[in-house]
Formats: sequence, C-alpha cells, structure tokens
Amino acid sequence: MARAAVLCSLGMVTLRLIWSGGYGWFVQQRMQIPLLVAGVILLVLGLVEAWGASREERSDPTSIRRSAGPAVGLMLMLPLLVLIAVAPTGLGAAAAGRVDAYNPTDTAETFAPLPDAAEPPLKVLDFLGRAVWDSERSLEGVPVVLEGIVVNDPDAPDGFLLTRFMVSCCAADGIPLQVRLRGVTEPYADDTWVRAVVQWIPPDVPYEDQGDNWVVEAEVIRIEVGETPADPYESPY
Amino acid sequence: MAVGPLLLLVPFVVAIAARNRLGILADDDVRLWSTLFVSICVQALPFLVLGVVISGLIAAFVSPDLVQRIVPKRSLFAVPSAGLAGMALPGCECGSVPIAGRLVSAGTPPAAALTFLLAAPAINPVVLVSTAVAFPNDRMMVLARFLASFLAAITVGTWWARRSESSLLDALRDDHDHDDTRWHRFVDVSSRDLVHAGGYLVVGALAAATLQLIVPRSVIDSVADNELLAVVVLAILAVVLSICSEADAFVASGLPQFSLSSRLVFLVVGPVIDLKLVAMHSGVFGRAFALRFAPVTFVVAVLSAVLIGQVLL
Repeated sequence: MARAAVLCSLGMVTLRLIWSGGYGWFVQQRMQIPLLVAGVILLVLGLVEAWGASREERSDPTSIRRSAGPAVGLMLMLPLLVLIAVAPTGLGAAAAGRVDAYNPTDTAETFAPLPDAAEPPLKVLDFLGRAVWDSERSLEGVPVVLEGIVVNDPDAPDGFLLTRFMVSCCAADGIPLQVRLRGVTEPYADDTWVRAVVQWIPPDVPYEDQGDNWVVEAEVIRIEVGETPADPYESPY
Repeated sequence: MAVGPLLLLVPFVVAIAARNRLGILADDDVRLWSTLFVSICVQALPFLVLGVVISGLIAAFVSPDLVQRIVPKRSLFAVPSAGLAGMALPGCECGSVPIAGRLVSAGTPPAAALTFLLAAPAINPVVLVSTAVAFPNDRMMVLARFLASFLAAITVGTWWARRSESSLLDALRDDHDHDDTRWHRFVDVSSRDLVHAGGYLVVGALAAATLQLIVPRSVIDSVADNELLAVVVLAILAVVLSICSEADAFVASGLPQFSLSSRLVFLVVGPVIDLKLVAMHSGVFGRAFALRFAPVTFVVAVLSAVLIGQVLL
C-alpha cells in the first residue's frame, strides 16, 4: 500500500504542476506533454496497485503482504515535501551571480530581418547574437523590447543587468543571458520582471578584444515593470 | 541498504530547521537549492516513467528464450549491436538504468545490457541534434561525441564480458512469479522499478544539487589554460553536475575558455557516469557492482574522449 501511496501522490503532484503552470519554473515548456503523460501513468499505476493490494487483503487477511519494496522508495516523497515547504520559484538573481553569463561565441553570421514593428520584441539570446555577430549591424539605431529580470550590478551604478536564463532541459542547466542597461534613472529591486525598450550601444573596442568577461550594453529608452511571463526562460533552439 | 539513504535526510532537515537561527544558509540559497533539486527530479521523471514502462514490458513479454534467439551468442557481436541498439531510445540516462536491469533479468548477457546502458543516453538522435545546435561552428563535435561515447560503451562492455567473476549480477536473474498474468506482472514490475530506481534518482539529485551550490565556479575557471588539468576538472564536473545528456552540450558550449577536446571529455563522461547514476546503479544492480563499474567507466570514458579528441578536434 505504501508503494501505491507514493505513486498516487507523485502522479497527482505532477498533474498539479502542469495544471498550475508551475512546471515552467523547473523545466522547458516542451516537457509539458511528456510530464502530463508521466503523471497519468503514475496515477494509473498507483490506483491499480492500491486496488490489487486491497483485493489481496480481502481475499486472505492473514497473508503476508507482498514485499513493499525498499524504504529508499520513500525518498520519492522528498521533492514533494520540498515543493510544499520551500515553494521554490525558479532561477533568479541569486543564481545569476553563480555562473558566468553566456556570450554567443558560435553563431551564424546572417540574421533574418528584424520583426516589422516600431519597437520589435526580441529574445535576449537573439539580441546578443545580433550585437556580437551581425555583419549587417541590424541593431544599430533601432529601439527593441527585451524582457527579463533585474540583477543589480556594482560595476554599473547607472543601470543593471537585464537577465534571462537560457534553459535547455531543466533549471539545473540554466545559463544567464545578460545585457547591461545604461541610463536607468530609478532603482529597481533584484528579481523584478521588466519590459525594457532599449537601444544597442556599439562597443568602442570589439568584443573579442575585451578579454574574457565582456558584456553587451544597451541604452535604456523606457522601462515598465511587468508580470512574470508564461515562460520565464529562453530556449537555445 | 534501506536505511542508509534515509540518513541523508537528517542534515537536510537540520539545515532547514536551523537556518534562521544560525544564519548558515541564506534564504536565497535554500530557494536556489530547492529549485535545482526539484528541477533535476521533474526533468528526469518522464524519462524514468518511459524507462520503467519499457522495463515492465520486457519483464512481461520478453521471455529468456526470445532473448536467446535475438541476442547474438558471442560477445564479439552482441556488444557492438547492443551499443547500436542504444540509438533507438530517445531519452536521457535515467530511463536506461531500469531497462538494462530488466534486460539482464530477462536473460540478456550482462555485457550486452551494460553496453546498451552506456550507449543509449549518449548516442541517441535527440542528444546528437542538441549537440549540433550547441556547437554550430564545430560540426566535428557531433561525430567526435558519437564515436567517443560508442567506443567507451563497447570497451566497458567487452571488459565486462571478459571478467571471470561476472557473477556479481546473477542475483538480478529471474525473480519471476510464474503464475502471475502478464498484465499483473507488467504493473508489478513497472511500479516496483519506478519506486526503486526513482528513490535512488532522488538521492543522486540531492547530492548533485548540493554540490552544484557549494563548488565555486572560480576554481573551475582557473584551470582552463592547463590542458591536462582542464580534462580532469571537466571530467569531475560532469560527474558532479549530473546534467541530463540532452542538456550538457549547452553547458559545454557555455565554457568557451576550455579547449574543444576537454569539453568533449565533459560530454562523454556525463551521460555514462555521474552522481545520480552511481546512486541508481547501486540501487538497481547492487552496491558491489556500482563500486566496480563506476571507476572503470569513468576512466574508459575519459580515455576514449581524449583519444578521439586528439584525432578529430
């Protein structure tokens, strides 16, 4: 019966994560369907187990119970406990300080034209790629919209690092994508979600001559504090 | 064996309970740790479920007679073909552990099952495509990864086939209740394997999340210029981080200060041996096996990556 309980609770919590959208804090959006299927299978396995166990008990109450399996199975309850006790909310400023930001070192050098809009929205990864590699310099003089969280930076008193995490499978492989914004007039708290209209600042010295830890910079035109987007991370694909 | 992993809970609970009083862990760290830990578990879950469903099907529908007919008798043929069969399982490493366990209990020669175990997470199409996306300007990386992982898998498989004391895995064979119906057996084996392998997966995720948080990145960056140290450090990093094999290429491409061949080591070691896999191997195949298997696999993976890296990159 313990096994049935573990399977059912795992299944229900998985389905609940899908239902609430909370899974997006932990894994890529494309895991939604696989997780849904896994949750349903877990629930069905758990119910069949429970049904089998109760039937066995009824038919022969004195029978020695089927082996309940090793206690290590109870470890499966631990992620569920952590979800309830800590309620983790994904990668933020604390995680950004731990890993070097990603700079697109290997990117194709031709880019599609920018989306046809006065202030086209861009993925942070796309913005970085164009800033570094675009031979047509499509970003020059064009205001674009970037969405990300605030990570305050002691090196930039007049701005902050607009940060979005690139996650290819799960949050444990998250790598920060960062653009340093200049000309920010008011302070923002770490982890605030913002939509910023910005314009790329071409570097004085080419990026590749700036040593290891160069950062792409942009001038702020306008900043709005926003809601957490449906997908808090960007995918590298 | 049953109580050991549960003891790991004690420091965790103490740390959570004491954090406000002692100030050891900032709230940020606890939340980040929880995010890493839960996300490793959530990411692995669908692959684990796929793995145990296949292992349940093997237990219910694949008889030892059938295995005798399909799998080539001589390990000379069985080992490489098991390696190639690994290409057909599009997933990451968590699913292949229970499958390999069931293959052994269904009568597959252990050497072939272990080759499959090592090859499947490293050379399947999903992993190769994500490697190509992560290294768009280094096309040879995909070929190098494929060859080095395949070489490592069949080397370890051949090593196991030639060992005299291969009785280590005998306990896995045939734990059949022969009077069960097939449907019954499928449900029983799937749910048993899930709870079992899943429990060890959680133990591995605990260790991986904790080490990700306490190993400072500056130590890793400081060795990038020394090729030998870089290989050693990236090999250990692959074991410690325990990242899914579909994602590790992006992490490797984010370490441009390291040479391509040291990053190849990272990509070849991670899918075959890491913290969560050691935990799962000791759960599914037994601790004695895991203690023997892990160091050999680690060394073979590093050497084949270095060799292929020298030739191709």
